[in-house]
Amino acid sequence: MSALVLMICAYAAIVISTVVLAFRTVKIAQMPVHLRWELAPVPHEKGKSAYGGSYLEEYEWWTRDHESSIMNEVIYMAKEIFLLKGVWENNRGLWPFTFLFHNGIYLLAAAAALVFVSAIMLISSSPLSPLDLTLDLATILLIAAYLLGTAGSFGLLIKRYMDPNLKPFNSTSTYLNLVLLVLVFGSGLYAFFSTSDYSLELGYFARSLITFSPQSYISVPMGTHILIVLIFLTYLPFTYMIHFVAKYFTYHEVRWNDRPQTEKMTRKLNDLLAQPVSWSAPHVKGDGKKNWVDMATEEMKDEKKPEN
Amino acid sequence: MKKSLKIKDISLNGDAPITELNLDDLLPLPPPYDKIEEQPGWKRITEEQKGRIVCNLDGVVGLSLPRPETPEEEKKYVDLFVTGMQKLLSRENNWTFLQPLLLSLEYCAKCQTCSDSCPVYEASGKNDLYRPTYRSEVFRRLANKYLKPGGKLLAKLNNEEIELNWTTISRLYELAYRCTMCRRCAQACPMGVDNGLITHELRKLFSQELGWAPRELHEKGTMLQLKVGSSTGMSPKVVKDNMEFIDEDYSELTGFDVVTPWDRKDADVLLIHNAGEILSWPENPAAFTILLNAAGISWTLASDDPAYDGVNYGLFYDDVQLARIALKHAEVAKKLNVKKIVMGECGHQHKALMTIADRILLGDMNIPRESSMTFLENLVFSGKIKFDPSKNDFPVTLHDPCNIVRNLGIVEPQRRILRYLCPQFREMTPHGVDNYCCGGGSGFAVMSQNNFKDWRVAVAGRKKFKQILDAFADQPGPEVKKYLCAPCSNCKGQIRDILDYYGAPLKSGIIYGGLVELIVNAMTDLKEPFIKWEE
Repeated sequence: MSALVLMICAYAAIVISTVVLAFRTVKIAQMPVHLRWELAPVPHEKGKSAYGGSYLEEYEWWTRDHESSIMNEVIYMAKEIFLLKGVWENNRGLWPFTFLFHNGIYLLAAAAALVFVSAIMLISSSPLSPLDLTLDLATILLIAAYLLGTAGSFGLLIKRYMDPNLKPFNSTSTYLNLVLLVLVFGSGLYAFFSTSDYSLELGYFARSLITFSPQSYISVPMGTHILIVLIFLTYLPFTYMIHFVAKYFTYHEVRWNDRPQTEKMTRKLNDLLAQPVSWSAPHVKGDGKKNWVDMATEEMKDEKKPEN
Repeated sequence: MKKSLKIKDISLNGDAPITELNLDDLLPLPPPYDKIEEQPGWKRITEEQKGRIVCNLDGVVGLSLPRPETPEEEKKYVDLFVTGMQKLLSRENNWTFLQPLLLSLEYCAKCQTCSDSCPVYEASGKNDLYRPTYRSEVFRRLANKYLKPGGKLLAKLNNEEIELNWTTISRLYELAYRCTMCRRCAQACPMGVDNGLITHELRKLFSQELGWAPRELHEKGTMLQLKVGSSTGMSPKVVKDNMEFIDEDYSELTGFDVVTPWDRKDADVLLIHNAGEILSWPENPAAFTILLNAAGISWTLASDDPAYDGVNYGLFYDDVQLARIALKHAEVAKKLNVKKIVMGECGHQHKALMTIADRILLGDMNIPRESSMTFLENLVFSGKIKFDPSKNDFPVTLHDPCNIVRNLGIVEPQRRILRYLCPQFREMTPHGVDNYCCGGGSGFAVMSQNNFKDWRVAVAGRKKFKQILDAFADQPGPEVKKYLCAPCSNCKGQIRDILDYYGAPLKSGIIYGGLVELIVNAMTDLKEPFIKWEE
C-alpha cells in the first residue's frame, strides 16, 4: 500500500479534525454568559458535595469565604469518564457496551501516544531497551483497545438496533457512527494479528509522519486500518461524538457554574442587556429597537388574546 | 395498551390523540390505594370541548388552545414558530440560556439514560410520549430541518423526517406542559444534557413569540402580578387587611401579641412570602411573624406591589416576565434599604430570585438574598427561643422542593431543624437532591383547566404520593396522625390536591404543612399546639 498516499491522508485528517474541533470548541466557549442554571450535586462545594449541598446553605453566605475543591471535580469526572458512573447508575443495560467501547477509545488514544513516543525514540536513535519497553506497552494497549473497542462498539450497534427504547431515536448517522467505530476497532484487530512487529511498524509510520519521509511499504491490513482511522478522525468533529469537549461545558459552565456575579461579569451582562429584542408576542412587542433593559422595566398592558 | 411512538407521529393525524392513558398502566400504589376500580381516574374531554379547543395529545388538556378558524391562521402560527426557533437560537434574543440550550440540542446521545429518572414517565407506566427525550427530539429535528442550511435534504438522508404543521406545534405546545422541569433527567444524563431546560425554552418560544401560555401562569399569573401586585389578585390594601386578620386570629389562638410589621425602612430583613400562603395557609405567615418577633429580629413585609408576593411564574415560561418581576422585587428592597431579602417557604421564588435573577440584578439592585431554610436554622439554633421537641412527637417526613434542593443545593439546614425538633422524623426514599418532584412543579400546581388537574395528581404526582405512603409504612393507619413537611407553597398546593384526590387524610391520617409551623409548634412558651390536626 502506498505510504505516501496514507501520509497525505493523515496530514489532511489531522488538519481538518483539529481545525473543526477547535472551531466548534471556540464557538461554544464564546457564547454569552447565561443566567445561572446550576444543578446539585456540585462537586466543588467543599464539605457539602457528598450530599449535594451548596454554599447557599450558609447563613448570610455572602459574608463567608466560599471554599471550593478542584480535586472533588477531578474525582467526579474521573469516575464519569473511566467508569461511566452515570450510565452504571441509570442505564445498567447499556453500561457493559458503553464501558467497553469508551475504555477501548481511551486505550487506543494512549497506545497512539506511545507509538508516537516510540517514533521519536527511533528518530533519536534511543537505546533499544526503553524503545522495546515502549513498544511492548503499546502492543498491550493496542490489543486491549481493539478487543474492548470491537466488543463495545459492536454491542452498541446491536443494542441500538434491537432495543425498542432506543430504536425510535436512531437516525442513519447513529448507525453510520457505530459501523465506522466497529470498522476502526475491527480492522485494527485484523491488522494486529496479520502483522508481525505491529507496534514497530506503526512506530515507523509515525516516524515517517514526523520526519515527512514516506516509508517504502505498509502492509494492506495495516494500511486499511490506518485509512479507516483517518476517515473516522476526519468525520468525528462534525458529529455529536465530540461530546468529550461539550461535556466540559455542560458540566463546568452550566451544571456546576454557581459563581455569584462578579465585576467582570457585570460588565458583560450590561452589554448583553443592551442588545435589541425582537420577540413578537403581544406582551413583549420587541421591535428590534427596544433592548432588554427597556423591556424589563416598561409598564405594559396585556393585549394577549384571551384563551377559552 | 401503550403504543410505541415514533418521533414523526407528532405531525400526523391532527385531531386524534397520539397516545392514550389507562389507569391499568400506571405505577401501582400500596394499599389501601391499590385497587384500580376505586381510583378516581380523570375526566374525559367532552365533545363540546373537542369542538372548541385543541385536544390532540393524550386525552388531557391543560391549555385550552382555541382551534384556528382558517388555514391562514394555522399558517400564521406555524410561521411564527419558525421565527421563534430562530430567535431562541440567537444571541440577541436568547443570551439568557443560549449556551445551555445549544449544548443540550447538539450533544444528546439519545441513549435514554435519563428516561427512568423521570417520575412522570415512570408513573405513566413508561408511556413513550413522556420520555424526557421525546419532546426534545421533536424540537431538535425541527430546528435541524427548518433552520440549518440544507436541513431538509439532511433530514431525509439521515432518516430524521418530521413535518412542521399546525398539528406539530399544537401538540408540542401541550407537550411542553407534561414535564415538571424537576431536572432529575439532567442529573442522570452523563453528557450533562438538560431536557428540562429544553422544555423551558420551548415554553419561552410559545410565550414570547406566539403569545401562547397557560392562562394560570400568564393572564392570571405574571400579568396580574405586574398589574395588581399579586397573582392571587390581592392589592396592597387587601393583603395588609388579610394579614391584619391573620394577626388577630393568631393572637387569640396563641396568646402571643402577633403583629406583622409593614414597610419598615432600614430593617435587617425583608421577608417575602408567596402570597398564596396568606390566602390558603395563613398559619404559615402567622408562624413566621410569631417566630421572628419572639427572636427579636428586625424585619418587615413590604406592601409595595409586587413585593408582598414572592411568586414569579416567569421562571416557568417567559424570561421577559421573569425579569420584570425580579426587578420589581429588588426595587422595593432597595427602596426600604433592607440588609437582605429572605425568601418565604416557596421553592420557585428561591430559584427565581436567588440564582436566576443573580445575573439580571446589577449594581445596587443586587441585594443579598437568603433562603428561609438557612435563616430559620440560624434562628432555631441561636438560643434566642426555647424549644420542647416532645411537642412534635409524631411521625414527620420531609418533601424536598426541587427548586430549593436539587436546583440550589440547600439540603441540610431544614433537616438539622427537623432532626432537632421532631423526634420521629424520617426521610423519604430517595431524598435530598435525588428527591422526586411533587408533580406540581413548573407551574402545574396552579394549573387546573379541563382535566389537567386529574392528570397532574394521578400521573405527575403519583411517584410522590407513593413515596409519602412508603415513608409512613410503619404506621399506615389513620389512628396515627402524621405530618408531611413541605416547605414550598406550590408543593403544598399539589400535595393538598393529591391527598384530597385519594382521601389520604382520612384513610392514612396524613396532614401537610410547612417547616416554620413545626418550629412554632415546638416553642416552649406556646400554650396550645399550633398545628391543628382536625384540619
